[in-house]
Amino acid sequence: MMSLSIDKLAEQIATLDRTEQEALFERVAELTFQRGLETLARQYRERLAQEGKLDQKVEEVMAELERVREEVAPHDYRA
Amino acid sequence: MSASVKKSPPMTTAHKWLVLDTNVWIFGLREPPDRPACVKVLQRLPRLHAHVPRQILLELRANLTRDEMDRLFRLLNRYPERIQIHWEKVEPALIHKYQQLGCKLGDAAVAAHVEALRVDVLVSENRDFLAEIKGLPFQVFSAEEVLRELGEIEEASKE
Repeated sequence: MMSLSIDKLAEQIATLDRTEQEALFERVAELTFQRGLETLARQYRERLAQEGKLDQKVEEVMAELERVREEVAPHDYRA
Repeated sequence: MSASVKKSPPMTTAHKWLVLDTNVWIFGLREPPDRPACVKVLQRLPRLHAHVPRQILLELRANLTRDEMDRLFRLLNRYPERIQIHWEKVEPALIHKYQQLGCKLGDAAVAAHVEALRVDVLVSENRDFLAEIKGLPFQVFSAEEVLRELGEIEEASKE
């Protein structure tokens, strides 16, 4: 995983002042969010590839999204 | 709509409340080469303030599988103060207002949600969306324009 053990890493982080620790934890959370997003995007693209939809042009995707929008809305609101 | 909608002083896009249109979410996940800004905006969500209204949620649910939606919610729920999910319907009168202005029902629903949430900016890749409507109570930016406001456009174009 990394050259530093968790304990050594924690010791180093503990030497930081509070502001630095908060910035560090915030950055770690952000990176974790981005990794999760990348995993979700990869999973989504793999499914689209299996369905033969990954290479759709932007215009085609936009048209499909517009169609879905107009299909979804009447379930909540009468036209 | 929720009575607990929060408002922040709108100094920059980073401090304004946004609604991302479904196309931004979908292009952000599909990652087409000509829409890098959508990817970047999703990655920057932890630093932004975003509402996700019902109409957008329903459209995402129509495009994503149950598992993909669950994964997305788990991510968004990490930032409950910055990313707020709204399943409430909007007042029909507000929908009607936008229909009267020429919007199709779905577009009217999105615009009505954005207004009801008192959101400052709708981020959409559809340049024509609401373009003909005068006096909108919110601005419509592309993902690229949001990044430009954030000062990250050069960085985004490099990645």
